[in-house]
Amino acid sequence: MAGEKNYYTIDPQGKLSCLKCGVPLVKGKAKFMYLDNGFPVELPVCPVCGFVYVPEELALGKVASVERALEDK
Amino acid sequence: MSQIRERGSTHVYKVNKISKEEIEGMVSLCVHEQPPFCSAACPLKLDTRAFLKAAAAGDFKKAMALYEKTAPFPLILSAGCEAPCESKCRLGEIGESVAIRAVEAAVARYGEAPRGSGVFRMKKKKTVAIFGAGLFALLLAGELEKKAYPLTVFCEQEDLESFLHCETGFLDDTAFALERERLRGKDIDFVFSCTIDRAFFEEKRGAFDVVCASEEIRRRLFPDAAFLPELMLCESEGVVCGEGSGVMAAAFGAKKAALSVDRLAQKLDPRNTRGQEGPCETALYTDLSEAKALRRVEIPAGGYTPEQAIEEAKRCIQCRCEECLKSCAYLKHYKKHPGLLAREIYNNTQIIMGDHQLNRPMNSCSLCGQCSVVCPNGFDMAHVCHIARQNMVSTDKMPLAPHEFALMDMLFSNNEGFLCRPQPGFETCRYVFFPGCQATAIAPGTVRAAYEDLCARLDGGVALMLGCCGAIGDWAGREEMEAQTREFLDRELARLGDPVVIAGCPTCKKELSTHRDLRVKGIWDVLLEIGLPRGARGLDRPAALHDSCGARGDEETQKAIRTLAENLGCELVETPYSGDRSPCCGYGGLAAYANREVAAEMTEKCLERSDAPYLTYCMACRDRFARQGRLSRHILELCYGTDAGAPPDISEKRRNRLALKKELLHELWQEETAEMKLDFELNYTDEARRMMDERMILTDDVIAVLQDFRQTGEAILDAEDSLLVARRRVGNATFWVKFTRDGEDSYTVRRAYSHRMNVVKREG
Repeated sequence: MAGEKNYYTIDPQGKLSCLKCGVPLVKGKAKFMYLDNGFPVELPVCPVCGFVYVPEELALGKVASVERALEDK
Repeated sequence: MSQIRERGSTHVYKVNKISKEEIEGMVSLCVHEQPPFCSAACPLKLDTRAFLKAAAAGDFKKAMALYEKTAPFPLILSAGCEAPCESKCRLGEIGESVAIRAVEAAVARYGEAPRGSGVFRMKKKKTVAIFGAGLFALLLAGELEKKAYPLTVFCEQEDLESFLHCETGFLDDTAFALERERLRGKDIDFVFSCTIDRAFFEEKRGAFDVVCASEEIRRRLFPDAAFLPELMLCESEGVVCGEGSGVMAAAFGAKKAALSVDRLAQKLDPRNTRGQEGPCETALYTDLSEAKALRRVEIPAGGYTPEQAIEEAKRCIQCRCEECLKSCAYLKHYKKHPGLLAREIYNNTQIIMGDHQLNRPMNSCSLCGQCSVVCPNGFDMAHVCHIARQNMVSTDKMPLAPHEFALMDMLFSNNEGFLCRPQPGFETCRYVFFPGCQATAIAPGTVRAAYEDLCARLDGGVALMLGCCGAIGDWAGREEMEAQTREFLDRELARLGDPVVIAGCPTCKKELSTHRDLRVKGIWDVLLEIGLPRGARGLDRPAALHDSCGARGDEETQKAIRTLAENLGCELVETPYSGDRSPCCGYGGLAAYANREVAAEMTEKCLERSDAPYLTYCMACRDRFARQGRLSRHILELCYGTDAGAPPDISEKRRNRLALKKELLHELWQEETAEMKLDFELNYTDEARRMMDERMILTDDVIAVLQDFRQTGEAILDAEDSLLVARRRVGNATFWVKFTRDGEDSYTVRRAYSHRMNVVKREG
């Protein structure tokens, strides 16, 4: 695994907040895991409860294409 | 409902469901790459098909280039060739063969000679000498010059013109002049006015790596040396020689001789690695049914004009076997003939580490088997793809993603959606009605009407079984799941007293017929025996009958449906590719789950056959055609005077199955089912519904997300659009729902999406 290398970074830019904790999301460390592979990423995360947000365009774009590539490995 | 395990580690050794020999045997059935009949008959292997295509397009330059590749002196060959190609031209069987030689002559005369590739050609290091003159010597010189040998010709003639004149008396003045210029343009050293005797020959030969001689010189200098015609070689003398008379013999001899020169120059045995030489047999199949223009353009005394040659070349039907590509949207999509695609898909299963790039094509075939019927040799791409899928599953390399939704649907059909009861008042039954998962999902009203009719009119009791036959597991290559389904259904059938199965779907009939000791018939057979129910009525306008791919090879079913349609008063319009040759609607083989685009092309292919409404006997076909906006009806809808209406979305399909089960349990068996009531109100915008159907997200998935949100209160608030976003991992996917809160216990779903990757917070 490529250490701390970040494959993808999304900044919440103050538009997103955690409903439960009532605080804005911040750029935080997260990890995608699929079929024995893991990818460190930076996504909007709640600094209190740790809720990791995967935006729609990321899910349907980059995530979907990486899924496809891993499935065919 | 249980979850299906994701694909495991990729480090699994291969399991071969099919051997390399078997796949090669299958691949050899595909004749797409076989040479056309004209080329196969040509000893010089001219690519006649490509030549005529270029000529027909008026591209004489390209045609000339192709011809010159075979014939270094095109006018000589076209004037003296015996045209074995014409006798094998398939048009000759139904009319007059293409006048290939006359077209060649016109191209040779009017076509522009290629001026070389423009790239500096490195001469070979090995040198060659030719002793003598005549057709063989001339054509061999042409061949060797093409191969870039430094070449010297020793002849007894005093100049180039007399060298060319030797044995070419059949050329008219224009042709001779053109060939003379061509010969002048070639990089050949001539030594004229030689007196070629043994002493001269021995004196000169030492300076060359390979030596060749005309037949005349051979007979003069070493008359007793044995000559090997297949190599054009006097082996004892080590001299490549000519033999035979006529242009064709000389041209073919020159080809063989040039190959022997190659081998000798490399100091290799000239017998080895020669490939296939001379005319050969071909197994190519050509469909002559659409051939037109059966008469030749008359050949005037001076040969064709360019216009006449173009017209004659246009008569060529470009023999090529593309029967499967013409009929199958899948093969057409991948633009590969099945021999090639099958080999690639087989190789895909053999990869232990690395990308399986053919997974998608392998999973995109509808496994309908149409190719095996339209192919003149019965090539069965479906078999290749099916075995490849099983192979991938057995090595644990098959991704779950393309088939998971369908497999979960199969589990749903045989769990929550499953119903098995004897007819009220019976312990065991003589029959069991098995309508199939799609009929129950798409036309529950029709299923109920059919069941009640069968109960009323058949003696001995008719049980009902709502479930999946296991075809989905089979299509996905999951033998274990298919076997489990088989065992489960057999157990349930045993409880009913092993009744005769009345299948409502041709695929179910086919799948259930593979069960040991199970007697299966179609409901269409029963309706022909007992007559149509009251109220049965055909369509009020002519309809195109679409044969189900599940009924391929099942002539009885195809016939029964036609009789049933006739009894209903339906007027059927003829369509191409009907009966056994029918294409798949796109549902078969789970193509629609693995590759939506290809499946849509399959549906399109079905619909392009007719503008009329479609009459089907498989509910999946009805559904896919209706989704494309075409009026389509299942024959049972006509039999029972029902109308399933607009096609349901994926969630409605499940709800329909549950609702029918609940309704029948309540009304026929007086059993109540516990109803799960939501403690909140959930609405969907039209956009959300469309999105969910397209992205294969069920309302159950959305409900799970909302239930989770109500329990945990976890959600994101997006200030940009004021939407709440909640998520939940269900099975192998994470579902996200964007919604608004309309009241304390009321929500409206605006968007939904999912991903399979699991996301977690990373520490540090």
